[in-house]
Amino acid sequence: MLQFEGKDYSLEAGESVLDCLLRHGQQVSSLCRSGACQSCMLKASAGALPAAAQLGLKDAWRQQGFFLACICRPSEDLVLERCNAAASYPAVVRRVTPLSPNVIGVQLTRPTGFEFRAGQFVQLSRPSDGLMRPYSVASLPSEDELELHVALLPDGQMSGWLHGAVGQSVSLRGPFGECFYQEGESERPLVLAGTGTGLAPLLGVLRSAAHHGHRGEISLFHGSPLLSGIYLRSELEALSEALPNLRLFGSLLSGAEDELGAQGRWQFELSPLDQLIFARCPKLGEHRLFVCGQPSLVQLLRKRAYLAGASLSRIHCDAFAAPHSA
Amino acid sequence: MSTSLYDRLGGEAAVDAAVDIFYRKVLADERISSFFDDVDMDRQRGKQKAFLTFAFGGPNAYAGKDMRAAHARMNLTEQHFNAVMENLGATLAELGVPAELIGEAAAIASSVKGDIVSR
Repeated sequence: MLQFEGKDYSLEAGESVLDCLLRHGQQVSSLCRSGACQSCMLKASAGALPAAAQLGLKDAWRQQGFFLACICRPSEDLVLERCNAAASYPAVVRRVTPLSPNVIGVQLTRPTGFEFRAGQFVQLSRPSDGLMRPYSVASLPSEDELELHVALLPDGQMSGWLHGAVGQSVSLRGPFGECFYQEGESERPLVLAGTGTGLAPLLGVLRSAAHHGHRGEISLFHGSPLLSGIYLRSELEALSEALPNLRLFGSLLSGAEDELGAQGRWQFELSPLDQLIFARCPKLGEHRLFVCGQPSLVQLLRKRAYLAGASLSRIHCDAFAAPHSA
Repeated sequence: MSTSLYDRLGGEAAVDAAVDIFYRKVLADERISSFFDDVDMDRQRGKQKAFLTFAFGGPNAYAGKDMRAAHARMNLTEQHFNAVMENLGATLAELGVPAELIGEAAAIASSVKGDIVSR
C-alpha cells in the first residue's frame, strides 16, 4: 500500500511506484523510466525503501528518503511525498542579536518533533499575512533553540519585521536542502564557501564537523564587499579549538591595508571568492564542498569545482534567491 | 552478433565510467556549454547518464517523443548536435573503446538527430 499526499493506493504485483501513481491519475514527471535520469524522484517519509530504488543517488539525498519512483518496487507500505513537500511547525522568536551591520541572528524555540540537520533551511512564515522567506539553520539539532541568520535588507518586509519580533509566533516549513555534514568520513578535506548570510548553513556544517571531531582539513571562505560583513569571526576562531585543521579565509572587494593579511586565525585577501578558493585549494578531486549564497556565484563555483575534478555527489549547494541574500 | 553493444561496452559500469568524462567535456565545450548554464547539474548528470545508456544500446526508453519535447525550444542546429557527437566519441576513445564500437554507439545516437535539431 502506498500513501501519497494523503490518499492510499494499492500496488499491483511487481508494479513500480511511478506506474501505480500514474495509473491512478497522479501527475509525476518521468523521462527514462529506468532509474537513470532522476526525473521521477520522490521522497519517502515513512516505510523501508528497497535499496535498488536509491541506486546512484547522492548520500545527502538518500539520507532524506529521496528515491526513484520508476525503479521502486516496494515490499512494505510506504508514505510518500513530493521532494519539496514538508510539514509545518509553530515556533516563537526568543531573541534577536545583531551579528554585523546588516545581519541579525534570530533565536527560535525548537518545535516538538521538528527533525533537521544543521545547515538545512526552513521556510519561515509570518502568521498574520503568510509572508514567507527561506532561512538556513546554523544551530545543531542537539541544541534546544534554532538559530537563523537574517540579512537586513532596505525595505525588507520580513527582515524589518523580524528585527522587532521577540515574543512573536512564526510558522516553519521544512527542513529542506542538502547542505549538511556527512558523518563517517572524518579525514576528508572540506571546502565551505559562501557570501553574506550563506555563512549560516556553513556554520551549521562546521558546528556538526566539530561535534563529530572532524580531523581532515577544513577551509572556510566567506566573501563580503567589506570587512564589516565578515561576521561571527571570533565564534569561528573558537571552533578551531575542536577543529585543529580549520583554515579561515575572508574574500574582500575593498579594504584598508591594515584590514588585510593574517588576523588571528583569519587570512583576509582582496580577491574574488572563486579565485581565492581555487588559489588555496587547487586540487578538488577528493574534497567535499558546501557552497551557499548568491545564485550566480553558487552556479559558477559548482561548475568550476566539477570541472576541476570534484564529484557532483560531493558538491552541496544552497543558492539564496534575491530576498535572502545579504 | 550474439551479445548486445551495451554488454560489449561493459553495461552499467561503462556508463558510470563515462558519464563524468562526457559531462565535463560538454560543459567545457564553448559551442554548447551555454545551454547548460542554468540547469540543475545533479539532475542534468542523470539525463546525461540516460543519454549514454541509450547511445550504448542499453535498456531504457529515452524515446523520441521525450527527446523532442526536451529539446524543442532550444533552437538547436546541426553544429550543436555534432559537438555532442564529438564529445561522445572522444569520451569513448579516452576510455579505450575500439573504433568499431564507437561507431556503433554513434550510429544509435545519430538515430535521434531528427528529434533534436530544429533548424
